[in-house]
Amino acid sequence: MQWAWLIPVFCFAAAPVIVVFGRYLPERGSWLSILAIAGGFVVFWFVLNSWLNADVATMGCFISENSGMLTCDYDRSWFNAGVIGAVGSVSLHWGILIDPLTIVMLGLVTFVALMVQIYSMVYMEGDPRFGWYFAVHSMFAAAMLTLVLADNFLLLYIAWELVGICSYLLIGFWHERPEPREAAKKAFIVTRIGDVGLLIGILLIWRDVGSFGMTDAFEAVRVGVMTHGQEGMSQGVATAAALLLFLGAMGKSAQVPFHVWLPDAMEGPTPVSALIHAATMVVAGVYLVARTYPIFSAYDADPLLIVAIVGLVTALMAASIALVSTDLKRILAYSTISHLGLMMLSLGAFGYTAAIFHLMAHGFSKALLFLGAGSVLHSTEFQDTGEMGGLRKVMPLTALVFSIGALSLGGIPILAGFWSKDEILLAVSDNRNTAFLVMALFTALLSALYMGRAMFIVFFGDLKEKNNHAHESPIGMTMPMALLGVLALGFGLISFNWPGDFGGIGTFVFFGHGEEFHFEVWLGAVSIVLAVGAFIFAYLTYAKRSIDLDYARSRFSWILNVIENKYYFDEVYQWTIDRVVLGISGFIAYFDRAIVNDIIVNGPADVAREVGIKMRLHITGHVYAYVLGMALGTIGLSIFVWLRTV
Amino acid sequence: MVDLVWFQLLSAALFAIGIYGVMARRSAVLIVMSIELMLNAVNINLIAAASHMEGIGSFANFDGQLIAIFIITVAAAEVGLALAIILRMFRNKSTVNVDEIDLMKW
Repeated sequence: MQWAWLIPVFCFAAAPVIVVFGRYLPERGSWLSILAIAGGFVVFWFVLNSWLNADVATMGCFISENSGMLTCDYDRSWFNAGVIGAVGSVSLHWGILIDPLTIVMLGLVTFVALMVQIYSMVYMEGDPRFGWYFAVHSMFAAAMLTLVLADNFLLLYIAWELVGICSYLLIGFWHERPEPREAAKKAFIVTRIGDVGLLIGILLIWRDVGSFGMTDAFEAVRVGVMTHGQEGMSQGVATAAALLLFLGAMGKSAQVPFHVWLPDAMEGPTPVSALIHAATMVVAGVYLVARTYPIFSAYDADPLLIVAIVGLVTALMAASIALVSTDLKRILAYSTISHLGLMMLSLGAFGYTAAIFHLMAHGFSKALLFLGAGSVLHSTEFQDTGEMGGLRKVMPLTALVFSIGALSLGGIPILAGFWSKDEILLAVSDNRNTAFLVMALFTALLSALYMGRAMFIVFFGDLKEKNNHAHESPIGMTMPMALLGVLALGFGLISFNWPGDFGGIGTFVFFGHGEEFHFEVWLGAVSIVLAVGAFIFAYLTYAKRSIDLDYARSRFSWILNVIENKYYFDEVYQWTIDRVVLGISGFIAYFDRAIVNDIIVNGPADVAREVGIKMRLHITGHVYAYVLGMALGTIGLSIFVWLRTV
Repeated sequence: MVDLVWFQLLSAALFAIGIYGVMARRSAVLIVMSIELMLNAVNINLIAAASHMEGIGSFANFDGQLIAIFIITVAAAEVGLALAIILRMFRNKSTVNVDEIDLMKW
């Protein structure tokens, strides 16, 4: 298990090699990147195996006092801040922390990244920056893997920023066009706003605990709770730290009001969207909240209420936008935001297992959907759903796997998404009040509706004339989709209480104490009815066209208008930036030019020059003038000294 | 024994003459001579003061004499240097009038 650090190191090593030597390698070195991530995937199985065989007697392993999971921490000395042994100097460690949360993330990231990279081999074929694409892809995966392995906040923060910069590079991959450039900048800047909160939160914890280590921080929280804030971390600090960390998570995970970057991130190549939405980047926020759950749930667990509210608002709002969007990739993007909101809601409702389970189920399904969408775009060259229809006739395999992904996310039973969403609803109904449950159910309904809409519009109905040339994608693209499809289909099985040792995912990833699989019949029934009903409605409306929505559209046109404009978030931000931010920036720029430059920097220089011009007129070059000055000066000094002594 | 103040008056007079010479003369050689005059005025002052000082035990106090010898040595070196510079100057500009030597003036 100590060798888990190899997983990101493979990918970290591949990236510079591809950049430097890629042009001399066959296929521009892309296979190197695939080899690295495949190596990581293999190591993941060894890590999983050795974790299953480990117990508290294994080196570095202990039962976490906070989560109750078997946790293994391996760290090494990193560097000393300050002189060694001096007062105030800090010795920093870095290392890896392995618990089930890390292990499931490792599996998800390596697998999805591997699938996406194999898919990209075909999808990105012929691109002038083919090698660079794979190098950044490798770096992206490496950064995310470091993020989930990090055992201290400093390393986590470094990886966090690396994820941000890699997403910036990939979203803006086609930077010849202006839209990807703008989208990349938007993604980077919006997430940076949250990152500031994360950094302050980390520094706050460091100030209170005196260490960047996560286990130290969690221990301080635990001691604080046990001694009622007498020792360790007090309630105020814990709450503030949790909220600041959540700010970072909101930025990365595209929660309201930081969600605006994610739909625009669609400007990048489609496999990049698959990676960002499923495995790296956006799930980092959910992971962060899950990783620092001891801080969130300490004392009265007040921060979790905010997490739940933000998650719920995000889920509802994004789901409604996804319902009216006409761009296939944008529908999927808003669907991602909505499901990230559900994960946050679940974390906020003490549904730790449910959130991580949904993260994985959603990861597989969403990667599948994006790869399917990429396959459609690759073959039809269209992105607008209005231009598609009946594509199942020409690309049956894509239609099949896309439908699996859509049904899974829509919450149709036996698919992965149904089980994980059911767990979330269960957590919400157990720990939050009815309003939360009703709105969560409504989100689930919307989720099924927009998934059904996307699926039926694109793949069912009549094939359009202009799409006659469309064809099924090559094996390099369909094979990863099929593998992901199998997982989206069958991943839900791991939630059950199987005969033997395995008691379902609830006894593997949990917080506090493990829970075996349980199923609330009435809740499951309601959610099945909603999901199936939504899909039937979508089928009748968009495939059969037997239900006409024109009347409803005209009746509620103003609501539709608001939703179609994405609740005017972009407009409000644009106005704020134009009026407020640019105003303040203008003032600061003026201050910089007029005060700092002209007075503080140039001022002394100007004075010196003026004085010099005046003074040099007195330099006559006559020796007697100088001597007279010296003599008078000496006499003056003498008189001064004499007067002082008398 | 002659009173110390007479020595100091003599020294001050010589020093004043020296300063006057430096200020009033145009010839570099004469300026150097005036500087020598000032240095020797200081020497007289030092030696007179030393001879009027109490000795330490049975030893007389030689501090003044010592410094005077130092000054004579330095003055000799300084004159050598100054005359060399003046010589070079005369070679270059055919004059030792300090008013005409204003290369460094802006």
